[in-house]
Amino acid sequence: MSDRTPTPSSDSTPHASLGDSLAVGWDERGDELPPSDWGRRTGARRTGTVWLFALFITAMAVAHAWLSDQLTSEAFLAWATVFTAISFQALPFLVFGVALSAALTAFVPASVYQRFFPSRPSAAVPVAGLSGALLPGCECASVPIAGSLVKRGVAPAAALTFLLAAPAINPVVMIATAVAFAGQPEMVLARFGASLLASVVIGWIWVRFGRADWLRLPTPTHAEGAGRWVVFRDSMLHDMMHAGGYLVVGALAAASLNIFVPREWLGSVAEAPVISVLVMAALAILLSICSEADAFVALSFTDFSPTAKLAFMVIGPMVDLKLIAMQAAVFGWRFAVRFAPLCLVVGLLSTFVIGGLLL
Amino acid sequence: MNRIAQGLTLVLLGAAALTSTVPTNMYLNWVKPGFGPFLIAAGVVTVALGVAVVAAEIRGGSRAEDDGADHSACAVAAAEGGADGGGRAGHDHARAPRVAWLLLVPVLAVFVVAPPALGSYTVERSEPASAPQEGPPSGRFDDGLDEAAPGEVVRMDIRQFVMRAWVDEERALAGREVELTGFAVPNDEGEGWYLARLQMACCAADAIVNRVLVTGGPEPEADTWWTVRGTWVEPEGELVDVSEHRFDALEWETVDNPPDPYEA
Repeated sequence: MSDRTPTPSSDSTPHASLGDSLAVGWDERGDELPPSDWGRRTGARRTGTVWLFALFITAMAVAHAWLSDQLTSEAFLAWATVFTAISFQALPFLVFGVALSAALTAFVPASVYQRFFPSRPSAAVPVAGLSGALLPGCECASVPIAGSLVKRGVAPAAALTFLLAAPAINPVVMIATAVAFAGQPEMVLARFGASLLASVVIGWIWVRFGRADWLRLPTPTHAEGAGRWVVFRDSMLHDMMHAGGYLVVGALAAASLNIFVPREWLGSVAEAPVISVLVMAALAILLSICSEADAFVALSFTDFSPTAKLAFMVIGPMVDLKLIAMQAAVFGWRFAVRFAPLCLVVGLLSTFVIGGLLL
Repeated sequence: MNRIAQGLTLVLLGAAALTSTVPTNMYLNWVKPGFGPFLIAAGVVTVALGVAVVAAEIRGGSRAEDDGADHSACAVAAAEGGADGGGRAGHDHARAPRVAWLLLVPVLAVFVVAPPALGSYTVERSEPASAPQEGPPSGRFDDGLDEAAPGEVVRMDIRQFVMRAWVDEERALAGREVELTGFAVPNDEGEGWYLARLQMACCAADAIVNRVLVTGGPEPEADTWWTVRGTWVEPEGELVDVSEHRFDALEWETVDNPPDPYEA
């Protein structure tokens, strides 16, 4: 299953961005299809995939009949409940965010963004930060968009600020945060302030100290020729698969922490003021939870101080394992090894400042 | 993960979300009741996307097999594209990363495990609740005690009971007959047993335990549901210093149709 299948949309040019990579290979399907024998092999693999899923569904039915009564371990059931709860609580937010960001990718031309940003980098950075508030989506969506912004001539520092701000302060995330922290509007405000502050400061640091050769600039690719609905569908599929997969990783880890780590451990850490903030930041990096769902997870760490929860929500969308991997994929490792520590330090400072002021 | 697999995974994921909301009420074990419509919408969109992807792939596949023209140049290009994997990992849009297979874990959870609501296990493990930081947001209790006629039995959520017991400095609860419903949790450390409910802000991951220590009456099995009528054992000293509230049971009966274990 996981080996490469020749597909109609494979082509020789490296894709610079999500939009481009999605845009190629559809309309020229007639010209660019692999030879007929490849098609047959693909067809065989397809049939294999369908059989695999049929087997999976049958196995589930059998397991449901035979295994369900055997599953009586209370610890396991509690773990499964918490895991399912986190997954399904996040699913509607994920679907909504992915659909909106796919619509923007498909129906708003990237040139609109370029016209939107001032040409002077230091002025473009705050504009980029604030415009992050307009684009719903999680970090998985913003990485490819930032790549395409850079390619279309937006200053790299501004694109990076956008990359950091968009997943943290957009309306979907703000609403999710407000739902999670019902009755604590200061938490929503603190998240907005701390994330925006950190993104803009990092952008300015990049304007001042960043070097062009740290960024591997994406190379331009084919003109976009695909139908908009095809771009929409594929963009949504892409984001669901990436973000959804990592969301499950996060839910698995969070449920395990929730059930198997004795509450006293976290409780003893939770009371130390600075350490607790650092622990929550470390958890945010390790858990790699989508920004659209992380407020609910932050809330579940009931023993921690508001500033520590804020750190979880500020650091999570800026630095985490899956994000580092994605940034390295788009901009290269030379960039990622410098950018992630910078984000962590500035994000923590911003958390302490805003948390001290508001929480 | 090829596109057929991606599409089918999404169909199964959406089906899991729909199964837990439409034909059954399983979702109440995990999230709040008001979240149902959102889960249904997400399920519908996910299934539709999965079906669209699979349908497009099958149509594309049949066209590919009909198409006998020679496209060897393109095949070479495609092969080169494949060899160039290192530099553009994560860019191959036709295939999803392996981590996407994990989307089948929630599907397994729903269809095989069908996770029940949290219960006595969670209550036993959780740290004893402490006095709430502040009273009800509006400054008024929502438990109906103030409205009830003197001598009338007041039916309360355990959340409301605990809030009132800890916060109301006037101790209006003293001497009143109250009816509480919850599940039983054995008390391993002493007399009595706990009647408990869970309170969640969003989902089961953030569930908070509310419980009272019931004295008098039988000691029921864990996770059995009971409606208990009794009175608050008024503590001595400051309310804030109370570690758990005691409830003196007068009457009790089992609950036939246990409600949602989570209180709003």
